[in-house]
Amino acid sequence: MRLLQVSLRSSLLYSLILVVISIPVSLFSIRALLDEDVDEALTLHTDQFLRHIKTFNYLEDLETDLQVLDQLSYDIDIKPSNETVVFKEFQSVSLYDSTEHEVRPYRQLSTSVDIKGKHYILTVRSSLIDNQQLVYAVGLVQSALIILLATGLLLLNRALSRNLWKPFYKTLNQLKAYQLDRNEPIKLEKTNIHEFDDLNTTVSLLTDRNRKVFVDQKEFIENASHELQTPLAVFQSKLDVMMQNPSLSESDAAMIGELESTAQRMSRLNKNLLLLSKIDNEQFNAKETVDVKEVAELLLSNLKTMADVDNISITTSMQPLKITADKTLIEVLLSNLFNNAIRHNIKNGHIMVELSDGTLRVINSGPPVNLKSEKMFERFSKQSANSNSSGLGLAIVKKICDICSYDVKYEYQAGHRFTVNF
Amino acid sequence: MKILIIEDEKELVKNMVEFLRQQSYVCEVAYSEKEAREKILLYDYDCILLDINLPDGSGLKILESLKKNNKSDGVIIITARNSLDDRVEGLNMGADDYLTKPFYLPELSARVSSIIRRKQFDGSNIITFHEISIDLLGKIVKVHNIPIELTRKEYDLLTFLVANKNRVVSKNAIAEHLSGDNAELLDKFDFLYSHIKNLKKKLSEAGSDDYIKTVYGLGYKFST
Repeated sequence: MRLLQVSLRSSLLYSLILVVISIPVSLFSIRALLDEDVDEALTLHTDQFLRHIKTFNYLEDLETDLQVLDQLSYDIDIKPSNETVVFKEFQSVSLYDSTEHEVRPYRQLSTSVDIKGKHYILTVRSSLIDNQQLVYAVGLVQSALIILLATGLLLLNRALSRNLWKPFYKTLNQLKAYQLDRNEPIKLEKTNIHEFDDLNTTVSLLTDRNRKVFVDQKEFIENASHELQTPLAVFQSKLDVMMQNPSLSESDAAMIGELESTAQRMSRLNKNLLLLSKIDNEQFNAKETVDVKEVAELLLSNLKTMADVDNISITTSMQPLKITADKTLIEVLLSNLFNNAIRHNIKNGHIMVELSDGTLRVINSGPPVNLKSEKMFERFSKQSANSNSSGLGLAIVKKICDICSYDVKYEYQAGHRFTVNF
Repeated sequence: MKILIIEDEKELVKNMVEFLRQQSYVCEVAYSEKEAREKILLYDYDCILLDINLPDGSGLKILESLKKNNKSDGVIIITARNSLDDRVEGLNMGADDYLTKPFYLPELSARVSSIIRRKQFDGSNIITFHEISIDLLGKIVKVHNIPIELTRKEYDLLTFLVANKNRVVSKNAIAEHLSGDNAELLDKFDFLYSHIKNLKKKLSEAGSDDYIKTVYGLGYKFST
């Protein structure tokens, strides 16, 4: 869940609860106010009626008149009663309105009165229909207002938050796109918001520091490899001089030979490390048109003598493919793949090289290895007992493919299968 | 034949001198740019081995001034920096060859002898060794004056051994010489054995003595 959604969700929930509660509360309170008002009017009305009746006390047939009044007046009932208890009672009732043919709400006040010594019950009523409409209207207006207010606030909040969090997302996106081995430092804008500026400064500091460590490390590898070259040369030359000693015993000679092989391994390892860091530093960036097929054919013809040693057959099916790249890199890439195919092969094995639709496949008949395909390209993750393998060949392949944005894959499927998508 | 070695690593220089002296080259040594400039000013050399990284400057500057003064000394650049730019720059500035550390001394002496030959014998450049003669320009090998057919690798192998005659040359050095920069598969020496075997066979079929001796555990020696 996004941060924005969390804050929006809680404010939305709060607004909804508020709306749900406030509408009935306001309806009831308005109705109560109106009822009180009506009750006051009814009391006043009753009092006035009684006062008027008293002025008509001299009439003989007042009793009949009251009967007539009861019949004629819709709002006033006055009926004789035997009750002697004095009472006054407000009631909300629904009565049938014969003119409108519907039941309507009324508020009535029943009072016991004595007129000329006779007991009557006087009921004065007032229609509530207008009041009810008023309540509904007020309720409607209020609900509309509250809903508008809530949604408006929500939208506003949302837009505001989105705007507010924009620098954060910008930083996040930059961090996502950030690659330590690319040469671009992260660029963060000033936001005027303290927290975000703080975050940006920290992020900048962190990435700069990481980058520095990374560059230092890279330079260290390069320098170390360079510095090793001279002592290796001294070592190598000493062996070359020692070999010339005519009084060497056979065992001494064999030992010197082994030492020389070891020296050679060191120097090859060193050269490969240098090559890796050079590729890393993008020192190979000459762009020219390279015919992959041509390069592959040349390399394979050079390697034929090596393949013949183990009687490995090489079959090719290649279509011309022209790409724009650094020729040295392509040569290194292909020769490492081919060398790998020869090195990790069996006697009388075979190698299949296919080049079509911008895809190069190198398949060799080596025995399956216990190496996960993603580990295949890692440095020094070698598995074979072949001690002369530097363990860097495929790492270099991967590095070149990364730099040139080629897609390289390994799978074991009736032989080791390396696929490069140019 | 005089060679000037400009290199600050004393141990390396010692070995280079010892190895090259056996080939009856006269070696002089300069450990710094200043020393080197003095020597170059005073003497002419057949070949200069030039380290690019010197404690007091870059070897490329020495090369620059050599060329400015129209010195015809052959120059081989030796460097620990295997960078392509250095190589191109060095060769563009008039260096004759380029060798990266670490290198095999037989490789160095083969390059030196090839440069000296190129400088000394313009036009015809033929090495003769008893009944064998090698025309370096035409790349033709004759035994008793009859040309023999050699593959490219066999020819390279023969010239390499002859350039280091009477010295032990290790299998590694030969293998690296034959396969050049992309020598990743040097553990497969069998290919070397077959080249040697074929070369020996062709030479002996043409009536040459067997000069190529196997040195147990180490490599080969072209000996008289």
